Amino acid sequence: MIEVRELRRVFGGVVALDGVTLTLAEGERRAVIGPNGAGKTTMINMLAGETAPTAGTIRLAGRDITRMRPWQRARLGLAHVYQRTELFASLSARDNVGLAVAAHRGPYRVFRAVPRAEYAEGEAVLGRVGLAGRESVAARDLSHGERRQLELAVALAQRPRVLLLDEPTAGMSPLETARITELIAGLDRTLTILIVEHDMDVVFRLADRVTVLHEGRVIADGTAADVRGDMRVHDVYLGKAVTVA
Amino acid sequence: MRPLLRWALVAAAAVALVTFPYWSAPWVSRFATTLVRDALILAMFALSLDLLVGRAGMPSLGHAAFFGAGAYAAGITGQRLGTDQLPVTLGAAALVGALLAVVIGVLVVRSEGIFFLMLTLALAQIVFAIAFQWTALTGGSNGLSGVGRPVLAGIDFSAPDLMYVLVAVTFVLAALVIWGLARSPYGRALSGVRENERRMRALGYDTARLRLSAFVIAGTIAGIAGALSAYSTRFVSAQDAGLANSVRAFVTVLVGGAGTLGGPIVGSALVSLIERVVPSLLPTDLRISEAILGLVFIGFVLFARQGMVGLGRSAYYRVQHR
Repeated sequence: MIEVRELRRVFGGVVALDGVTLTLAEGERRAVIGPNGAGKTTMINMLAGETAPTAGTIRLAGRDITRMRPWQRARLGLAHVYQRTELFASLSARDNVGLAVAAHRGPYRVFRAVPRAEYAEGEAVLGRVGLAGRESVAARDLSHGERRQLELAVALAQRPRVLLLDEPTAGMSPLETARITELIAGLDRTLTILIVEHDMDVVFRLADRVTVLHEGRVIADGTAADVRGDMRVHDVYLGKAVTVA
Repeated sequence: MRPLLRWALVAAAAVALVTFPYWSAPWVSRFATTLVRDALILAMFALSLDLLVGRAGMPSLGHAAFFGAGAYAAGITGQRLGTDQLPVTLGAAALVGALLAVVIGVLVVRSEGIFFLMLTLALAQIVFAIAFQWTALTGGSNGLSGVGRPVLAGIDFSAPDLMYVLVAVTFVLAALVIWGLARSPYGRALSGVRENERRMRALGYDTARLRLSAFVIAGTIAGIAGALSAYSTRFVSAQDAGLANSVRAFVTVLVGGAGTLGGPIVGSALVSLIERVVPSLLPTDLRISEAILGLVFIGFVLFARQGMVGLGRSAYYRVQHR
């Protein structure tokens, strides 16, 4: 479903991502882990089209999307949950998901109200993420946890084929984290998911395979069990004396 | 029943507005018709700007370019083609407003915030400079005088009261169009662009195209407002396309309340009162309506960002929740 080849990104003189190759099968759930500055968010932003790669290619379902703009990728079925909440602050939760529901129907529909069926579709998604009863609240008036739930609802309302999750549980309480994790775990198995996450419980609950990034390179890649046993990963995570020349 | 009642009230208000000169005569002077006519032209102009400022979050400081272009287009086509036919001159104004908006829009829609503001300002100043310098076409600094009042299906809008009716009917139609846009999926998409353009792109919206479409609609309506101004005063000044006129529309939107239908309308009422009525109440050596307008504007920016509509809403809320 996703094929990343030799992806590289240099910011000024700093190499954020140094030739990453990665393949996700359709329906696969892949976690990308690594310490801060490993290049995880840079990679997810390049997949979403928000950061242009310095070199390398990205393919989505066989199609080269390396040079496509974010909105074009979204139309091909890519949805992105940002690390920092990106919502429509003054709009209600209903309208936040409504814009996602309406995206593939196009915005050039004038002189009639938003169809009820569209609202109903959006409200069903809000119910799934646990925001039933909060439909009319403006995004900026929701709690932090609720905003993260809404963020996920917006992405799901796009009916994506590929879901890019950049720390979906960041800043959530343990209870909220558990809920969102179960929600993601229960998503349709045909949906391909790439998740960047620091919480190892979440990673091992959700991921079929885990890729470990360190200083812009893949240092381990395998099933969750493989990676758990890989000593280098422990070193990177526990901050032991790892020096990469 | 309730929506029906609301529609009945809106229809009654529209009829009362359009027939204003015919029922108001016993109570107010003839000057009132002229005053309301010009306020409605300003309201239409401000409503079109609010589509950008309030709905789509595009703070344009060059909206007078379209107003001026429409005014010149109506005046010049009428004079050069020797016609007073409304569809011809008003159509020319709408077309020129739209085309100019495409040209300027393509250059500005990818910029945001202060850059958008400065770009629209600079490009509108170019339009103003052309209007000011191209004397053979526009009359330059003398302006374009002797603009004819239009004719439609045998109705001659030369008489002041009929001219007023034309303005009022066009205003009502423009307000309906803006209302219809605002409540539709299109209007909600513009709000999305205003609130978070990055997110809109991530959802699959071509936001540059969305912003351009809003720019063209706003330019078209502003061009029509400009044509009505040219008919009404029988004159087009280069100042119609100038910065002061852009600022005037901007102030009208913000004082009334951006992003609402009522805001630009009540804003234009207040601005018109300050410009046209307040000076006559002051001693002759103290006619400082621009300074008063400036102070009112500063007051709203500091103390009532949501404008008159916002003040009204919070007052209503307080009464309801007492």
